[in-house]
Amino acid sequence: MDKVLSRRVGMPNSQSIDTYVADGGYAGLRKVLTEGWAPEKVTDEIKKANVRGRGGAGFSAGVKWGFLPKDTKGKPVYLLCNADESEPGTFKDRLVMENDPHQLIEGMILASYAIRCRDAYIYIRGEFYDGARILNRAVEEAYAKGFLGENILGSGFSLDLTVHRGAGAYICGEETGLIESLEGKRGQPRIKPPFPAVSGAFACPTIVNNVETLCCVKHVIDRGADWFLKLGRNEKNAGPKLFCISGHVNRPGVYEAPMGLPFKELIYGEAYAQGIKGGKSLKAVIPGGASAALLKPEEIEDCPLDFDGVAAKGSMLGSAAIIVMDEDTCIVAAVMNILKFFSHESCGQCTPCREGTTWLYRVLARIENGQGRVEDIELLTRVAGQMNNGMTICVLADGAAAPILSAVPKFREEFLYHVEHKRCMAAQPQLVTA
Amino acid sequence: MSSAPIAPPPAAAPPPPKDTFTVVFDGKPIEVPKNLNLIDAARLAGIDIPHFCYHPRLSVVGQCRMCLVEIEGVPKIQAACTVPLREGLAVKTTTDKVKSSRAATMEFLLINHPLDCPICDQAGECTLQDNSFGYGAQLSNYDEQKRQYPTFDRTMIGPHVVADMTRCIQCTRCIRFTQEIAGTSELTFLDRGGRTLVWTHDGAPLANDWSGCAADVCPVGALTVRDFRFRSRVWYLHKTKSVCPGCNVGCNVSIESRDDVVYRFLPRLNPAVNDYWLCDHGRFLSESLNARDVHKASIREGSDVRDAIVPVAIERAAREIRAVIQKTGPSGLFFLGSAHLSNEENFLLRKLADHIACPNHDVVVDKSRVRKIKSQTEWVEGDDAAPNFRGARDMGLSPGRNGFGLDAVLSGKASPEVIVISDAGFAALADDPERVAVLRKARFLVVAARNGNALTRSADVVLPAASLSEKEGTFTNVQGRVQKFERAFLPRPPVRAHWEHLLMLATALGYGDRNWTPTDLLGQIADEVEGYGAVKEQELEGGALLKKGDFAWAGTL
Amino acid sequence: MSHTRYHIEAAGEPRNFPPEAMARIEKLLKRYPTKQAALLPVLWVAQETWGWISRETSEEVARVLDLPASHVDGVLTFYTMFHLRPVGKNLLQVCTSISCHLLGAQALVSHCGKRLGIGLEETTKDGKFTLIEVECIAGCDKAPSMMVNDKYYEPMDEKKLDQLLDRLARES
Repeated sequence: MDKVLSRRVGMPNSQSIDTYVADGGYAGLRKVLTEGWAPEKVTDEIKKANVRGRGGAGFSAGVKWGFLPKDTKGKPVYLLCNADESEPGTFKDRLVMENDPHQLIEGMILASYAIRCRDAYIYIRGEFYDGARILNRAVEEAYAKGFLGENILGSGFSLDLTVHRGAGAYICGEETGLIESLEGKRGQPRIKPPFPAVSGAFACPTIVNNVETLCCVKHVIDRGADWFLKLGRNEKNAGPKLFCISGHVNRPGVYEAPMGLPFKELIYGEAYAQGIKGGKSLKAVIPGGASAALLKPEEIEDCPLDFDGVAAKGSMLGSAAIIVMDEDTCIVAAVMNILKFFSHESCGQCTPCREGTTWLYRVLARIENGQGRVEDIELLTRVAGQMNNGMTICVLADGAAAPILSAVPKFREEFLYHVEHKRCMAAQPQLVTA
Repeated sequence: MSSAPIAPPPAAAPPPPKDTFTVVFDGKPIEVPKNLNLIDAARLAGIDIPHFCYHPRLSVVGQCRMCLVEIEGVPKIQAACTVPLREGLAVKTTTDKVKSSRAATMEFLLINHPLDCPICDQAGECTLQDNSFGYGAQLSNYDEQKRQYPTFDRTMIGPHVVADMTRCIQCTRCIRFTQEIAGTSELTFLDRGGRTLVWTHDGAPLANDWSGCAADVCPVGALTVRDFRFRSRVWYLHKTKSVCPGCNVGCNVSIESRDDVVYRFLPRLNPAVNDYWLCDHGRFLSESLNARDVHKASIREGSDVRDAIVPVAIERAAREIRAVIQKTGPSGLFFLGSAHLSNEENFLLRKLADHIACPNHDVVVDKSRVRKIKSQTEWVEGDDAAPNFRGARDMGLSPGRNGFGLDAVLSGKASPEVIVISDAGFAALADDPERVAVLRKARFLVVAARNGNALTRSADVVLPAASLSEKEGTFTNVQGRVQKFERAFLPRPPVRAHWEHLLMLATALGYGDRNWTPTDLLGQIADEVEGYGAVKEQELEGGALLKKGDFAWAGTL
Repeated sequence: MSHTRYHIEAAGEPRNFPPEAMARIEKLLKRYPTKQAALLPVLWVAQETWGWISRETSEEVARVLDLPASHVDGVLTFYTMFHLRPVGKNLLQVCTSISCHLLGAQALVSHCGKRLGIGLEETTKDGKFTLIEVECIAGCDKAPSMMVNDKYYEPMDEKKLDQLLDRLARES
């Protein structure tokens, strides 16, 4: 497949509006604004393409836009770009924003036109200093060229775009946490309903879309929904996709491929990560960032990398952050690391998450440090099992539970070994059976 | 399946829009008002949904995750407080899933909560303690070190409230109280996750006018009221419906007492007046009800003051009054009522004056401390620093036709021979030596009092009078609302309620019936005083008694 | 376990935004429908102005944005990138999340601490370095990844770290 989303990555001056326009950029926007497209036509095209959200949830962007009230009763509609890329293992949006900011900006202008938004924001995580600088420069360029601001391309459509920096909080990647944060509050997710499309930022109808999703919008408008639908495994899992692969592979990085790329192809393929480092064997893989359930090698044998393909294996594609662990990896330490992350990042409002994430981390740390007991293993799954499925306002707790609920049963012998021998099974390669 | 449109029946008037929903709780349908929270709706169905963060007057945050229920058609467990009511909503509160989910939340709450109930002052009115009996497990599986907030324990967080943050369960009720009710926003969450702490900016004191309410809304012992700490276990306390004497907002309070000692006031829920709240000024007047140094009646003969039994002291006063009436007529008398006294007492005083045809009566105005409280719908502001100024005026205690009032007496324009002061408890008058000296110019001065002051020390007859907790009656607040207060315990003889002293004096002067009670007097008021005929029993009763931390639905009040 | 963020240090001197910072804030305020929404951007301006956020700064921000100081504190302590006390000239932020963990981040942190003679959240006596662990900074393909102030240094190993620390020590 020819690259789409990452096509301009690495090109000289790829960040500048001149090279972007020379490459055909903003042509789609010009088409929509000067050829009399109604906003609904843009939405229909996105709906038709079934662009599923690339941030983690995989929810159809067009359907989400459709939740906006027909009559907003005079309230403005806000578009927020979720550029708070914080799911461990994910680094695709950073790549896009740092290399091809106008792709995102054009996607945002199109989306704003479709949903009749007058003020849009890019909520970018605080650590992306370069990303924010590059985006700010690109936004200025877009204003200067008349793609942003009043009466864009003489169409009567106006849009202001602001880059808003976060300041170190994973939970702001949750769309209502992001909204709270944008409003100048602690990023504590909100109770739903009401959903943001009805009452979001500043109590107004709001759409939150991921960076990659908004980039897809631009390409669907450029090339049409049919083109998008033909890329990928089926109509529910279509379009180009950025996969992040990291961990014990020879060539970690962001790879673009159509949805449904075979899991093993990504890990072992010559055009992709080129196999496990040092020729070792695979022990486990996380398919969708730290909040996705771990998979064992046999589970990825015939698994297409797309929303439904990974879901069928009991995990999720999430942000398409594939984290590869080789045979020497200590699963206990890896899961402990993940729980340390979640206990640090829990916002603290819901009891099960606030208390549960830290509890799990402490038990894991005890096992890892050789002070575990056999009953701790059952305790882990019991505690994790009572944090998820509606126990909390948002799904951070579900994300914290998933690694435990998958790793403990799948690698039970490693946990047991840790408890019984007070040391790591993985440090004894001869004992590894996988 | 085809669905051919069916024409509506002709000329059928549409039914009036319902203001209720039918909600089905555990299979049992019940009509509930549309604007209710599900937790309150469940109460109407007789179902208690346990909760910590929900409070009917604070924004819904859905954080504690205790009020979990199943909703038909929704796969995941739901926090009841966040589920909007709708027609036909089917709620399940007793399923295994509900039980295990609530037990899970209890387990999470308790892992870091100290098990120090034996030394915690909240014990007995602790929602966590109560819910752990109802929904928790006997044993804990938590074997890690419990979280502590070492420098945030046993610390004054404000002038009235002690913080023990290790006990905090992060429900944010106190934070929301300061933000949404007091409007002062002293409190906030700091940090996040399992490290989240409730505190103030830079340790600034939690010092708004209603700070005690932050402790009231705390479901655990993290915020407690200093004055009450460790004075009594709450289950020994007796609750009495009363009205705060702090000003004429007339906040409904419960007097909590034991062995004839008042331990504290708690707000009594009355949405039309003080809702769930009580100002600190009023709250901490509770202790003042225990103060007394006038234990007996006394009579002055020249410079000699001697104890007397009450009937003798009353007769002494009556003799002086009769003498004035005979010698110079009733215009030589002056009766001073009190905004601290009940309607019944002030009414009796005025009726007595009428009986002997004395138009000289008045009541002291005190604008010194005007307080306010947030009712369910608006701020209610007092206009007098005593609880019953409106009522005293309504009972006719302004100067009558051709009569004179207090100003005339104090300015020397009028010089009554006998002055009867029904209550010596107002400091502005009683502690001012100059004004007392003017009053003392009267040949004979009669006062009823609980505590000694310049006025009682110079009086000719002093009658030992009861405190608010020792008598019953009604006050009329700034809104014109007539509210009943009840007696918590009897005064220790010879101390008597003001109305008893007044009734004895009245009968000695040929008015009234010695067997009248405040209830009889209120009946007379209803018959004679304009606007008091139609006082509803409900209004009279005022708010509902609550256990601290309990928030019964107030929809019918 | 992570360090708590309850204590916001005092600067011991008044903090008033200099005119150029105020001008930036005025511009920022035009981008949002509420003043409160400018809180994070204004805190960034404050941190760029003074290098960290003190109690006095929190109060100044509260004043400028018409917010309760407690609200500013609540926000300030929620977001880990705001420094509640002064940090070294070079803020060493070593990522220890899962991808970096798999490739030796923990050893890198220990090495760095030993080399500088400081623990986590500590600053060297000469004020040149502060060492902290951070959660995933989206540098997973170049793990272990780290940032010094606003720049990425990745992938990192002990040798490269030594060279980097030497250079930074010389330059600052």
